[in-house]
Amino acid sequence: MSDPKPPEQGNQPVNLPKLDFSMVIASAVHDMKNSLGMLISTLDDLRTEQTDTDSSGTRLNTLQYEAERVHSDLVQLLGIYRLGEQKLSAHTDEHYVADFLKEQLARHEPLLKGYGVAYDVSADDELTGFFDEELIAGVITSTINNAIRYTRSQILLTARADETGGLVIGIEDDGSGYPEHMQQAGTDVLLKSPDFRTGSTSLGLYFAAAIANLHQNNGLAGKIRLRNGGSLGGGVFEICLP
Amino acid sequence: MMTDQAAHDYSPSFRKLRFLVVDDFENFRNSMRQMLRTLGAEKIETVNNGISAIQKCTYEHFDVLLCNYNLGEGKSGQHVLEELRHRKLLHHSSLFLMVTAETSREMVMGAREYHPDAYLTKPINRAMLEKRLGALAERREELLPITRAMDLENPPEAISLCLSLLPRHRKHRTWIFKTLAELYSEIGDFAQAKKIYDDVLGQRALSWARLGKARVLLAEHYDDEAIEMLRHLIEDHPDYLEAYDAMAQGLKRKGKPAQAQQLLQKAAELSPNALMRQRDLAHLATSNHDAETAADAWRRAVHLGTWSVLDSPEHHLAFARTLTDLSESDPKGVGKEQAEEAFRTLKKMEKKFPEAPDVGARSLLVQARIYSAQGHPGKADKCLLNARELLPEDKLTADAGLDLAKTLFRTGRNGEAEQLLTSLAQNFEQDPEVIEQIENLLDEPVGLQQRLEARNLNREGIKAFEKGGLSEAAGFFEQALDVVPNHAALNLNLTQIRMKQISEGDPSILRQQAISQCKRCLEALSRLPPQHRQYRRYLALKRKLEHLQ
Repeated sequence: MSDPKPPEQGNQPVNLPKLDFSMVIASAVHDMKNSLGMLISTLDDLRTEQTDTDSSGTRLNTLQYEAERVHSDLVQLLGIYRLGEQKLSAHTDEHYVADFLKEQLARHEPLLKGYGVAYDVSADDELTGFFDEELIAGVITSTINNAIRYTRSQILLTARADETGGLVIGIEDDGSGYPEHMQQAGTDVLLKSPDFRTGSTSLGLYFAAAIANLHQNNGLAGKIRLRNGGSLGGGVFEICLP
Repeated sequence: MMTDQAAHDYSPSFRKLRFLVVDDFENFRNSMRQMLRTLGAEKIETVNNGISAIQKCTYEHFDVLLCNYNLGEGKSGQHVLEELRHRKLLHHSSLFLMVTAETSREMVMGAREYHPDAYLTKPINRAMLEKRLGALAERREELLPITRAMDLENPPEAISLCLSLLPRHRKHRTWIFKTLAELYSEIGDFAQAKKIYDDVLGQRALSWARLGKARVLLAEHYDDEAIEMLRHLIEDHPDYLEAYDAMAQGLKRKGKPAQAQQLLQKAAELSPNALMRQRDLAHLATSNHDAETAADAWRRAVHLGTWSVLDSPEHHLAFARTLTDLSESDPKGVGKEQAEEAFRTLKKMEKKFPEAPDVGARSLLVQARIYSAQGHPGKADKCLLNARELLPEDKLTADAGLDLAKTLFRTGRNGEAEQLLTSLAQNFEQDPEVIEQIENLLDEPVGLQQRLEARNLNREGIKAFEKGGLSEAAGFFEQALDVVPNHAALNLNLTQIRMKQISEGDPSILRQQAISQCKRCLEALSRLPPQHRQYRRYLALKRKLEHLQ
């Protein structure tokens, strides 16, 4: 039914429409993240196959650590994009916290073992909490990654109920702790005037604060807290969920 | 400090389970098989695409399916899950794990609506697989009596097992509460279902319990209350698509189809891959006379149907019909492309569903309308003739009958069309939806553009009437009747106004002329079927007119 087309004589110049740049970035980030996922899987396989020679082990650790770091940055970027689009909300459900934390550690097991970092969960087996599994897993993953970088020899995941019936999850290490200015930054400040000049650390904190804030109950919102000390004497990252 | 000492040994339960791994990458299949083996699993099968996965599940039973979301060309993990559920090939006691590279909800949103038992996000290593799968396998084992009763389609038994296992398995209480409430709803005991949701909500405003309660309210026809609940739920969780669907259903029932459509459009934008939502949106838009939106939604539904078990020839036909309606308003311009797309859609449908009842005939009926709009009456007549040879005209289905009547109108056979619709109205007098479509077709057997024009004029006329402008109102109705001369409500509206003017002795009309106009109006409705909504009004006005004369 169509008429024959006249011969082409080159294109008319096209006026480019205004691009939704954040969407372009988001879909590119999405692709990169999936590629990195493949890369990390392959590294895991490689690690299982390789016979222990010290030098290759160390290099594998570096490879995997950096890949994990970028991966979790990308996950956070996507999360922040979706937060901006108002497409993200916390679907809380009741979870057994100790099981949940062990699962999160398991994700990092190859790397923790590779670096010889000891790890443990300290939480009552019967303790339950209300949170969005997927979102909180994202926060914990990036915090563990960060802790792997700064710890000396061990990492401890803790959980307890607070006085008001909320849940406090902590990630502790035995490194030299958070610098003073980071300990000062409260959740409100992080959310209202985020400062991304310092790279991935502040991105991670902003993401964590935003995810905490999505968790609301009875008019209260979740928050994050950084301090030093804890049972290992290093940095302590805490996320408090109402 | 420990590393593994507290780890639970899951290998005895893994040993008994039958696994199916579905992934298009050989590397992944192998490494997954390897990991499962080291965890103690023995019965592991793998396939590399969705069709084989479904094929396998048709003849064999698996306890755990690990299925990648992205399976390359062909069926996706979502299609696999959808089809297994649809064909009841997935036992309640089986676990379906969607493996994805996506932490992104958007991408898996469609699948999320089919509720896999869990998501496994890549990269997956042995340790996390063990924890995740172990916990799920343990729950499966402990709740097996319940899921077995569900597989035997014995909800009362499943309910009593839920109640008796609840105190023993506090760990699985969320699962048990959700299941219990669904089982109660399934057997129609909405009071008990509601009680469970209320108990949960008494502790905490969990989104699933809020949705569940709203659904129960809808089932019991507390539409206002349900809509209010869902409005708040969507405010708090703009990504909770099932809430949009439920609320649209409520709004539709409250006679607010425009708002319902808006809501579904929003949901379809957030999650464009849910076929059934596109279908619902298309239906709503069609009844709202928004053919553009309907066409877009049908296009999407037909496209999504490519690999889906939910595809149906009805979607293709409806898409082609909508395109045809659109093409009639500008047959030589945009309409030409729309007509071509309609032809392509019909061809594809005939190829994909050669066995579907009346499919060839119904395709021909739509083709006849396209040819007619494109100015090829010869071809149109030929299609119509061929279609009628294929159709059993004494026992037509409602859809085929309506389609045939529409085509008869378009090819200028109005008398035959009206006769057919009258007999259809008799056959389907129990079905209010069919009757409504018959009414619409009898009232407005014209193209979309004219239909909208007539509706506008009618609305203007009613507005004028409400303000007391009788002559002005009559003018609008007269104009509308030029477009759709047999429209029941319009003819009766005009008759009513003229009779009012007559009885008030309105000096702006001539009594005798007005009476003959009323007579002509009622004459136009002489073949109105008794099932028509306006039939009683027609009789009443007819009697009144006889008194006036």
